[in-house]
Amino acid sequence: MSNSVISVISRFLEEYASSTPNKLKVIDAYLLYIMMTGALQFLYCLLVGTFPFNSFLSGFISCVGSFILAVCLRIQINPQNKGEFLSISPERAFADFQFAHTVLHLVVINFIG
Amino acid sequence: MAHLCLFSLLVLSMVLKTQALTPTHHLTTTDVARLQAVLSQPFTDLKSAYYSVVGLSKLGILVADADETCQFIKSNLDPSSVESLFYAAEASQALSGCEIPVSNDTRDLLLATVSEDSTASQIHQSVSALSSLGLPLASQEVVSALKARISKEDNVLTIILALQTASRLSQQAELGDILEEIEDLAARLDDLSGVYLQFEEGLEATALFVSAAYALSDHVDMEPPLKEDQVIQLVNSIFSKKSWDSLSEAFSVASAAESLSNNRFHVPVIVSAQGPAAISHSQPFLRLQVTDVLCQPLSSASVLVESASTSTSKSAILSQAPFTLREEVFELNFMASQPASGYYQFSVAIAGDSRFVANHVELKVKVSTRVAINNMDLSVVDKDQSIGPKTTRVEYPTKAKASFMADSHQNFAMTFQLVDETTGVELTPHQTFVRLHNQKTGQEVVFVAEPDSKNLYKFELDTTERKTEFDSISGTYALYLMMGDATLENPILWNVADVVLKFLDEETPSTIQAKTLYTPKPEIQHLFREPEKKPPTVVSNAFTALVLSPFLLLLILWFKLGANISNFTLSPCTILFHIGHAAMLGLMYVYWTHLNMFQTMKYLAIIGSLTFLAGNRMLAQKAVKRTK
Repeated sequence: MSNSVISVISRFLEEYASSTPNKLKVIDAYLLYIMMTGALQFLYCLLVGTFPFNSFLSGFISCVGSFILAVCLRIQINPQNKGEFLSISPERAFADFQFAHTVLHLVVINFIG
Repeated sequence: MAHLCLFSLLVLSMVLKTQALTPTHHLTTTDVARLQAVLSQPFTDLKSAYYSVVGLSKLGILVADADETCQFIKSNLDPSSVESLFYAAEASQALSGCEIPVSNDTRDLLLATVSEDSTASQIHQSVSALSSLGLPLASQEVVSALKARISKEDNVLTIILALQTASRLSQQAELGDILEEIEDLAARLDDLSGVYLQFEEGLEATALFVSAAYALSDHVDMEPPLKEDQVIQLVNSIFSKKSWDSLSEAFSVASAAESLSNNRFHVPVIVSAQGPAAISHSQPFLRLQVTDVLCQPLSSASVLVESASTSTSKSAILSQAPFTLREEVFELNFMASQPASGYYQFSVAIAGDSRFVANHVELKVKVSTRVAINNMDLSVVDKDQSIGPKTTRVEYPTKAKASFMADSHQNFAMTFQLVDETTGVELTPHQTFVRLHNQKTGQEVVFVAEPDSKNLYKFELDTTERKTEFDSISGTYALYLMMGDATLENPILWNVADVVLKFLDEETPSTIQAKTLYTPKPEIQHLFREPEKKPPTVVSNAFTALVLSPFLLLLILWFKLGANISNFTLSPCTILFHIGHAAMLGLMYVYWTHLNMFQTMKYLAIIGSLTFLAGNRMLAQKAVKRTK
């Protein structure tokens, strides 16, 4: 059982390292960073308490929102998905990403208190 | 059988008899004196002279210096003004021996004013002046002018003036139409909660209406179409105001009062008790003043008590008893019927003149008496009834010589009887209290003594039962009996005896906590909401570092992946885009520290649009480069 899991995972990692274009790997690294930041914030909240609850919420929402937007960007940039996003060029995807982030940051800073 | 019929008829008639109105407001002698004083003020011009002189004559008072007044009138007269002639003519008529010289021009002027084109007040003034000066006038012309005036101006004051004018005309003239106006005008009066009847134009208009209506009715000898209740309501309205704003208002009240006391049809009667309506053995006469609205006594009247009964039962103590007239006051010796003390309802009728209005009055009369205390017995009774009670009799107003002792084994008891001093009938006053007063501590406790079925008052003090009222403080208490009632002439406060009370479980005489109701209370300190416990700074700093650490990881990963900025073109839009982007991030920081949403939106709009334009250009260039 565990053998098959390990073999699946190693196979997946191999495929990932070889077949994914560099651009997507850059975005994946960014996604990993965002996820870790969010997880660490949540850990703090669990351990120490929710004292400035609004600050915790805004930080966590910021991580979650950024993660989602980055995932969207990755999907739209991926050349394998070109068929589904005919009208959206990668530049356009990036511009959307920027704009959405501006709005997200406005809300987050407003809530952080 | 006949008795039953009569009784039922009586009951039915009593139930069906509607309560006639009686005046609630009337002028007292002080009010009449005040009215006279207002009208006696020294006058400044002809108009005020007219009001004063004629007003005082209506109150039946002659002006002091008639000659001086006559001179004043003659010197202030302006023969070319109808108004001036009117005032002078009326005033001189009220003074004796005052003649105003009249010329042909004056007469022509006055006659010319009688026409349809003059106002109602001008017609009234000229007709009155002609009549007072003894000059002839054409009554029929006046009537037609008045009728034309009324049809043009339908307001209240015009019609009142028309009524006044008509009362000065000859009786042969056709005054029927004008007489009908009284009824129409009476319908215009406002009924205020069934008590007052007045014009919305005010008190003066109402008073002038009354005097005009009665003047005209007397002149043609026809009863005015006013019901008795309406007359009383008018009396209430006119005489409710006891101080008058202007001379004309005082004059109108005086003329209304005069017409209501002297006309041929309706004379309202004012009945009031002299002093409080209370009778006792020392004061056995019920005195009533019966006057007209000007407070002049109606000596021709005969006053009769139709029935006098107690407020509770309906049996009549007196029936059809006449009052006797003595020095303008009607009196009746009620004590001669030996009434028991209490309140009685009197129904009084005033007869003697068919013109009397409101001549049935209901009065509430109080009969008071003196009380005597009989058989005051004080005793100390043993609880277990082993030793017989020792009874001491005390006579009012002496005090018992020995003091009484009561502790947990004994009760203290008191019995007495209250009787009417003269008749010996048992009484139950409203307030019978027993008060125990501790002389040392100043404490007092009050109990109520209750009568039993035989009207014998009893009071028992059980020390164990009542120890909370006494705060268990033993000592000598002075016992007082307090008695009072509205119908008692001699309320009683009697120190009957001294009682020594002993309580068990007495607390050590604590400092008497005088009920501290009015001393300052302890101050309340406001507790602000405690701020929440913050974790220690070390922990916070550690976690801040921890949360920022993935950024290092990101940089390392990006370096390993070979991400670089080698494609960075140094075109202006690229640089502008990056600067704008950095500015937006900086704005976010400033928003966190200084700004509010509105300011941020403002700056964001500016920077954002710049960044957008630059970014758009940059990305377009990039796209072109990619597709090339």
